[in-house]
Amino acid sequence: MAWNKPLPHPTSISQPYWDGLRDHEVRLQQCEHGHWLFFPRTHCPTCGSRQLIWRRVSGEGRLYTFTVGRVPTLPEFTDEMPQLLAVVELDEGVHLNTTLVGVDPADVRVGQRLRPVFDDRPGEVTLLRYTPVESAHPGVIAGEAAPAAVPAPGVEEKPKRRISCKDIAAMKSLVSEEFTGWSNAFEVTQEIINQFAALSGDDYWIHTDPERCKRESPFGTPIAHGALVQVLVSRLKMPMDYEVVDFVNIVNYGSDRLRFPAIVPSGCSIHGRCRVKSVEQLKSGVQVTLEINVHVVGQDRPSVINDLVMLYM
Amino acid sequence: MGLQGRAALVGAAQYKPEKYMSAPRMFHLEQIADLATQALDDAGMTLRDVDGLITSGAYFHEASSFVPAMVGEYLGVPLNFAEVIDLGGASSVGMVWRAAAAIELGLCDTVLCVIPSRMAPMSPHDDHAMEVMRSSRFGGHSTRFGAPEAEMDLPYGHMAQNTGYAMIAQRYAAQHGYDVAAMARICVDQRFNACHNPGAMFYGQPITVDDVLNSRMVADPLRMLEIVMPVAGGGAMIVTRADKARSLRHRPVLVAGCGEHVHSKSPTYAHDMLAMPIGPASRKAFAMAGLKPADMHMAQIYDCYTITVLLTLEDAGFCAKGEGMRFLREHDFTFQGNFPMNTHGGQLSFGQPGSAGGMTQVIEAMQQIQGRAGERQLARHDLAYVSGTGGVMSEQGALVLRGDQ
Repeated sequence: MAWNKPLPHPTSISQPYWDGLRDHEVRLQQCEHGHWLFFPRTHCPTCGSRQLIWRRVSGEGRLYTFTVGRVPTLPEFTDEMPQLLAVVELDEGVHLNTTLVGVDPADVRVGQRLRPVFDDRPGEVTLLRYTPVESAHPGVIAGEAAPAAVPAPGVEEKPKRRISCKDIAAMKSLVSEEFTGWSNAFEVTQEIINQFAALSGDDYWIHTDPERCKRESPFGTPIAHGALVQVLVSRLKMPMDYEVVDFVNIVNYGSDRLRFPAIVPSGCSIHGRCRVKSVEQLKSGVQVTLEINVHVVGQDRPSVINDLVMLYM
Repeated sequence: MGLQGRAALVGAAQYKPEKYMSAPRMFHLEQIADLATQALDDAGMTLRDVDGLITSGAYFHEASSFVPAMVGEYLGVPLNFAEVIDLGGASSVGMVWRAAAAIELGLCDTVLCVIPSRMAPMSPHDDHAMEVMRSSRFGGHSTRFGAPEAEMDLPYGHMAQNTGYAMIAQRYAAQHGYDVAAMARICVDQRFNACHNPGAMFYGQPITVDDVLNSRMVADPLRMLEIVMPVAGGGAMIVTRADKARSLRHRPVLVAGCGEHVHSKSPTYAHDMLAMPIGPASRKAFAMAGLKPADMHMAQIYDCYTITVLLTLEDAGFCAKGEGMRFLREHDFTFQGNFPMNTHGGQLSFGQPGSAGGMTQVIEAMQQIQGRAGERQLARHDLAYVSGTGGVMSEQGALVLRGDQ
């Protein structure tokens, strides 16, 4: 998919830096007195000299500081959640902004050694990301390859407990505050959003017009219909360790509660989890309320909360 | 050298902080006239007394240049001193000392310092309000061609304030250690103060340390309740000659010391991310006033985030560098405590009206010194330290205020 995040616009002053990244090299300016500087300028901020030359450096350094961003700083970054924003102190002493890749947020430590990763995905420019020196992450993120969706843990099939819907005590034992593990991840592409817009007739521009969204939408990028994300639950396989048996049919009674607390920007992957909220014996059968939560991968706020009511008859 | 205490704060006005969407929409000129007349009323003065003006330059609605002339004309006031200031949350503190300096120089007698922060009415033609809202998508980061932050920050998702302050806090944690419960106490004590201030956004909503620790993590280690909520509002402050002030309605509040320091737009490029501009600014303010941090009866410290408060306490000299967590554990920051701080609730609990956030702190210091703080009134209330912070620890200013004897 097209790169929908803000991109740098190199200037006559900064062009050599971006040219370096395109060649998978880190190049910095140094003045005649040996001071290194970053970001690019036409003078040395340490001594004022205007005699600057570009030099190739290793690009390696230490993690000066970082944060784990749990609310996207811009909707377009929702696919990176949580955002591993960092400041690196290069061996030459200059600081630069980046994001960390190939590391678990829990393993990030201020002071750890980092090496550059050249990210060719944006196409027109190469961005500079960082990874711990010991990580197995490749030094280049290739342009064409979209990052593979990581299969969610816990999706592999286990033998399931069989619960009879006639056994109301066993059915009630399914009620839990705990959610299941995460389902598989599913990418909500612009193409799917467009298909849903055509099918439902809801082709409002905030879902379908990337150019206008850039100009006028508070989100800057198209977002999926809430109703679309709701129905995409069918694409998500929740890891349940039981199955309900002994019924003639299941009736979908709709929702006790349906909420869309967070957006799903176009191009993000979603995954879900659920829990049994309540089980009631009615005259006609057993009514189960299933709370289903759908999140953008990495987002702790759900995009869909659906308390689905089903009747086993 | 420095201010001689010949200028005084004599009156103020501010809108009650409200959510942007429910607040009335008013033109900035209209807000300025409204706030100015209320503040002058408070002081016992009229527009006829005003001959100096300082207003905020960034985001002014009806013009992007020639702002003081437009405002002066609208008010009907000829100006001997006219200034815009563009220091974010350090603007209010910066306005006060500039007003005092202009008065002591003899340029003018009475200065209106004013920051309008309600949204302007929607326009059917060229909607500046929408433009500002759109630009706020990038959290105050410039997206213009040639702006280093547009080129080096935005592509990586570095923008707005939360993540920058969080990275400062993480650096602090790595160097000095971090006590989340001690940090949460800042929020809890300030909320207690807000619960005694009917004008506060969060009046009547006390919180506990657990509430803070259970609030949503936004950017490690900062949680939702440690982050200000920007709201609609606005404030005005009247500064005049001290000799003139003595015949007015309230006790004159003299500007005894001031300082200002601006070190970088982004903390990424600061030489030391933990050396706050408030250090040199505060040292200058205390030296000018001939006082030290321990002399203060209250501290109204700019609190966009808990980490801002911690680092201000350290760098302004209330405790040593790296000792902040212990200082937090050993002090009670309520108006009844042994270190009264942000006695109105601070921005975390009073609310942060637009870029005027800092004015609420200057106004609270003035009212405490004048003995007008109601049930929050401090017993010792002659000396106040006030700080302001703009950007991401980009620019900071300090005031030492003294009640006229």
